[in-house]
Amino acid sequence: MAIKTLDIIRRRVEERPEELKKERANGKKVLGWIGYHIPEEVAYSLGFIPIRISVGGDSKLVEVGARYASSKTCVFLREIVGAFAENTDPYIQETDVLAFDATCLQNFRAAEVIEYFFKRDVVVLGVPRNVYWEEAIEYFTQEAKEFTRLLEERAGVSVDKKKLAEAVDLFNKIRAALKEIYQYQASKGNVISWLEVYDLIQAGYVLDKQEYLQLLQQTLAELKEQQSYIDIEQEAGEARIFISGSVIPRGDRKLINIITSLGGRIVGDDIWTGIIPYLDLNIKEISPEGIALGYLNRTPHGALPYLELKTDKRLKKLHGLLDEYKAQGVIYHTLRYCDPYTFKAKETKDVLAQSGIPLLEIHTEYAGSDYEAIRTRVEAFVEMIRNQTIESEEEVSA
Amino acid sequence: MSDKKLFRYSEENKERFLDSANIKFDDGTEVTPEEIWHYLTVEGPAKYPNSFEINLYQGNRGTRDETLISSLKAQYLSLTLSERMEKAKDKGKTIAFIQGGQAVDPYTAADTIALRPALINSWYAGKTHGETIYQRNLRTRGIKERAYNDMSFEACQTGGYEQIQAGDLRVDIVAPYSVLRCSDVSYGLEAHRHGPNKDVKLFLADFPMRHQADKKWAIEYFAKNLRRLTKALDEITGKETTEEDLRESIKLHNKGRRLAVELADLWWSADVPPTNGGDRGSLVTLGNLEAHGDAQATLSVLEEARKEIEERVKNGVRGHGVAENPKRLFVLGSCVGLNNYRSEESGAIVVGTDNMWSHLTTIVDEEGDPYYNLAKATLEYPYEQSIEKRALWTVEQIKRSRAEGVIFIHNWGCNTQAAVSRAIVDVIKRETGLPTFISERELGGLQHEQEQNRVNAFIEMV
Repeated sequence: MAIKTLDIIRRRVEERPEELKKERANGKKVLGWIGYHIPEEVAYSLGFIPIRISVGGDSKLVEVGARYASSKTCVFLREIVGAFAENTDPYIQETDVLAFDATCLQNFRAAEVIEYFFKRDVVVLGVPRNVYWEEAIEYFTQEAKEFTRLLEERAGVSVDKKKLAEAVDLFNKIRAALKEIYQYQASKGNVISWLEVYDLIQAGYVLDKQEYLQLLQQTLAELKEQQSYIDIEQEAGEARIFISGSVIPRGDRKLINIITSLGGRIVGDDIWTGIIPYLDLNIKEISPEGIALGYLNRTPHGALPYLELKTDKRLKKLHGLLDEYKAQGVIYHTLRYCDPYTFKAKETKDVLAQSGIPLLEIHTEYAGSDYEAIRTRVEAFVEMIRNQTIESEEEVSA
Repeated sequence: MSDKKLFRYSEENKERFLDSANIKFDDGTEVTPEEIWHYLTVEGPAKYPNSFEINLYQGNRGTRDETLISSLKAQYLSLTLSERMEKAKDKGKTIAFIQGGQAVDPYTAADTIALRPALINSWYAGKTHGETIYQRNLRTRGIKERAYNDMSFEACQTGGYEQIQAGDLRVDIVAPYSVLRCSDVSYGLEAHRHGPNKDVKLFLADFPMRHQADKKWAIEYFAKNLRRLTKALDEITGKETTEEDLRESIKLHNKGRRLAVELADLWWSADVPPTNGGDRGSLVTLGNLEAHGDAQATLSVLEEARKEIEERVKNGVRGHGVAENPKRLFVLGSCVGLNNYRSEESGAIVVGTDNMWSHLTTIVDEEGDPYYNLAKATLEYPYEQSIEKRALWTVEQIKRSRAEGVIFIHNWGCNTQAAVSRAIVDVIKRETGLPTFISERELGGLQHEQEQNRVNAFIEMV
């Protein structure tokens, strides 16, 4: 049985651009954001409608973006720049203020380029690289205060502690609901797929937050009714795949479709546009900087270097998620010129090999020319994993 | 051993050369002009024939102007870098691998030799003797390919990774700055954590972004990074770097920076270029005092260079190989440059660059907290500012140098320079009306002919 609420969500996403137009006509302001550390709660409490700008999969826009930001910028950001140049994406059209963070240097550069060429009002949150240092926390606290000040200026109001607490509560509930739904997709007898949850997560980038929470809770209720248990175990003949690496935004479903069309079952991810931003977010203090620090203390983004392999939180989290979702192999997706993840591909492969987990790196862009090449490689990988499962089952039964 | 025919510096210049000053080194030793001449004419060609090969474009020769004494001395320092680094290590000196285009004041204060990627490559390459240009290029490109495999083939330059990890170079610490100029510094540093050389220490000085020089908290944060940096270096040297040490180092480096600016101003003031573009570039950048792994030696050559340029300007000397009324080019972008010889052959000359020059022009305040002062100056580097601010500073330099054409070069995979190339050039065009050109190149790549064709076409157009 299908989850009916998912259809409602799809419809509401389609209707959202028109709604935004009306909201703006009524005096509301839209804050479009791109990054990993943007504290959405702060923007929300100030009365902005936060929209996560996320486009992908369009090689024409990538080409357009290259005219402004060069062909050496990562494919995702090149397309973002291209989308600002074309200005046909409804969310880009409806954005009043843009917020970027400096987590990824290329993200920061994209902010500069968009500000320069398209005269957009851009606010940037500085992010330290040595995030484990006390001094870095002090610096980030100041950056969060400055970021808030700049948003307050644009909103025309100051942060209200009560509204901020309400925003935190709302966003915490959204995160909790998403985490719970995510468990269902990885279970035996699942009635919702990873891709459906992935789309559900990305619907939250644009929908009204109150409505989104209500739709998530409705989805959960349906799930509980149709799937009475969560039992995350490998099943016979399964090839349970975990996706790691570069961002996979809305519009880019090339790799995901290849994996699923070949019978691979995606059971988890740790990508920037997937579940990872919603995990381990613990806000200890209701203040803009308290929220920002909560964001900073999650699993670090690949753009933030960590100099000791053994205690790397990102790799530790990856191991934890692989274990939790009983994944048998990792497809490591790297986008052209996405340095934060391409530089880590070999290392991640070597580290996972020590735990007996195979990793396949797929380095790609939005053009379709590599489709068949990727398909062949993924097919072999899925087959290998499935054979391993069969072999280990035979060993057990022998 | 090479069987190629080698050139020899002309004896005609020997007498003048022998009348010049000694080079003084950080450890108090000196080398006389006689010893340098012997090295350049006997020992050097035997060890490094690739630098003395006779070919159309003079191979790896550091200078083509045999009468420019300071440039010959800079060539001597380049050729001896590898053996000097080996000796320094034998004596227990600490060596850090750095990246980020920064001034090296804190490393000098902490009694540490700071080497950038090109110097790490030279140190490694210089350990093998008797190679031809072809043999050396083949070997160093092989290293780069292995590093691509270990990191990413989309790396801009592999930043000495393979030389440090597998090349048996005695580097104690990899300690770069995470500046915006380079997208790969942080990732290249992190890559060392899984290489075979696990003994090398790692440190990152975290460079804040976005109007950083206008934010007191950003300056304070970076100052704390610098304190941590000297502490990390102290843990290796076993010494304690005091604020006074840093203050003294800043004074020393300010001296280098001021001299370099004086030299550049003299050069720009001349009606005819007093040297060719290659010599201009290598002499000006001596001002960083890190170009040869020895601050005092570099300073003594720089002092001599300044006098030589002044003399040449006074006498209206035209630089070796410089055409009559050459087209003056300003080159900006990644830490790479044009082929000076071939550009001059086409009737142009490089009269300025933004890389390195940006921090040479930034004098550090000598009074007060040296860490804060150095942090403030570093965050003020024009090269690291926003598009408009950086471009307007570049426009000033273009005007000072009287350039007639502007080339923005970004290296293959240099994402953060490539990303702003069009915007920067856009401002320059708007403010100066000069013709501009954006070019991509690859360090040590094989497509130089294509690159040069495009550059030559631009020169022809100018």
